[in-house]
Amino acid sequence: MIELAGVEKIYKRGAEEVHALRGIDLVISVAEFVSIVGPSGAGKTSLMHILGCLDLPTRGSVKIGPMRAEHMTEKELVGTRRKKIGFVFQQFYLIPGLSVFDNVRLPAVFSRRPAQKGEIESLLEMVGLQNRTHHLPGQLSGGEMQRVAIARALVNTPEILLADEPTGNLDTENSEKIFGLLKSLHLRGYTVVMVTHNQELAGRADRVVTLKDGRIVKS
Amino acid sequence: MVFLRLAFTNLARHKTRSVLTMLGIAVSAAVLLSILSFNKGFHKGLERELQRTGLHFMVVPSGCPHEVASLVLHGSVIPKFLDLSVLEKVKAADDIEFASPLLVSQLPNPEEGRVDLVYGMEMQKIGLLKPSWEIDGKIPEGENEVLMGSEVASHRGIKPGSTISYPNISRTFTVTGIVKKTGSQDDAFIYIPFVTAQAVFKKPSGATAIGVRVKDPALLTKITDALSEKVPGIQIVTMNQVMNSIANLAASAKALSLSMAFVAIIVSGFGVMNSMLMAVFERTQEIGMMRAIGASRPDIFRIILKEAALLTMTGSLTGLFLSVTGSGLIEAFVRKVMPYVPGGNMVSFDAGIALLSIAFISFIGILSGLYPAWKASRISPIEAIRG
Repeated sequence: MIELAGVEKIYKRGAEEVHALRGIDLVISVAEFVSIVGPSGAGKTSLMHILGCLDLPTRGSVKIGPMRAEHMTEKELVGTRRKKIGFVFQQFYLIPGLSVFDNVRLPAVFSRRPAQKGEIESLLEMVGLQNRTHHLPGQLSGGEMQRVAIARALVNTPEILLADEPTGNLDTENSEKIFGLLKSLHLRGYTVVMVTHNQELAGRADRVVTLKDGRIVKS
Repeated sequence: MVFLRLAFTNLARHKTRSVLTMLGIAVSAAVLLSILSFNKGFHKGLERELQRTGLHFMVVPSGCPHEVASLVLHGSVIPKFLDLSVLEKVKAADDIEFASPLLVSQLPNPEEGRVDLVYGMEMQKIGLLKPSWEIDGKIPEGENEVLMGSEVASHRGIKPGSTISYPNISRTFTVTGIVKKTGSQDDAFIYIPFVTAQAVFKKPSGATAIGVRVKDPALLTKITDALSEKVPGIQIVTMNQVMNSIANLAASAKALSLSMAFVAIIVSGFGVMNSMLMAVFERTQEIGMMRAIGASRPDIFRIILKEAALLTMTGSLTGLFLSVTGSGLIEAFVRKVMPYVPGGNMVSFDAGIALLSIAFISFIGILSGLYPAWKASRISPIEAIRG
């Protein structure tokens, strides 16, 4: 379970302070599919970074399972990202020179975990890319690259999957496929949090959290 | 292994930049390795020449004794001469095995547009003066008979029994033998009987130097001290002293060359730093992504450092290859610019020197990668992903 209480995030831009999040209280249950929507600048990405232990709140508390993120050391934050969280980005961020197989394996390498070949192949099969194992990212379509990114996010069997605009760079057909994939993962027991501008896709999640000016206006 | 592949693919993304940086390292590695290998080869060559000579010391006119002695070895016109009365005094000294006069000069042949290096020596003492020589043919007996060094003979297509003419001095010499290749300066001389040299160079009572061998080398200092006291107007140079002064000259050249090589290495180190920093800035988002998917700061540090190490190692190995394949060019250049170079191979490659050079350059390269690696490890994943 993820629990945010009174979370505020203030960034400093020179002398100016930018309030990205203002008093966020949010509870996300295990195996829940939550979509976060809101206009640009509402604080969606800032919230995602805090949920993913990439950033810490300026005030308030963030509980990931039993652990309080704001009390974690750098090493513990890295450990949490490795074991509990899988990230999917809008721009995919695959490494161009590495094969699909090695891209998917990368988080396991960072975790010093010898991922088995079969394990990676079954992940690629799950996302429908079993025939693309040795291809380079440049040889894939946008939808395929995002599916590789999802397989990569799952390689360490995290509890939470955070997807930041996962369909933002895709056409309708591929967006549907990616959403379907996230939905199927949710049905397998993953907690999925998805930031999106796509209201239609957002509406198909268990719950829609709407942000505006750093505040939750609807949940 | 994935980290290494990652490093390799990252370098391959900007081939031109990586190749240019790597070439910078390769050139500095080649320069360093060549200088060190040359130095070793030079000393080996000097030792070899020292062992080849049958002399323990040379008596030369007072002045700059080391210069005269090395010119005798190298072959040049020396403006000062010893009076032959000195030879008798040297011979009469205690513990002298033999003393033999040497007259070295250049003999022009205007018709053929050539100047020959001529070495006048007592032919009957050739076995004592040049114990390591092997002669194809026979030792000259008559005053118009000569020996020829292998290099000059092969250059002019001369064989034992051939004749060489000098119309300007109205002389024709018969080449009775060719000295087999020694790999030293000896290959470049024409050896004529000492009395002939005196006549040709119009020095009936002069010699360039007197080569001396003592009965007991352990008494060398005692003998030379006594001789210096007994015979005025001479200077004595032991073969060790000649070789040491040549080695000292070479050491100064080595110090200068090494300084230049170090500057080149430092510059290539900055090249590595610049290249790696550019790569880090260009891959900020990718580094941010890696942090997000579980890479720690030390992981990022290691990835970037491995890239620097890979670049430097490849450069060092290329430098090693360049140095080995280009050693002939280096040697030819050195032979042109140095006043005295011993014969044989000048560049002596040694696994220890190669390893040391590669290790040193790799160390500098990795050192240059530290700052970009640290910079990369400090990249904030949020800022990076946000772009």
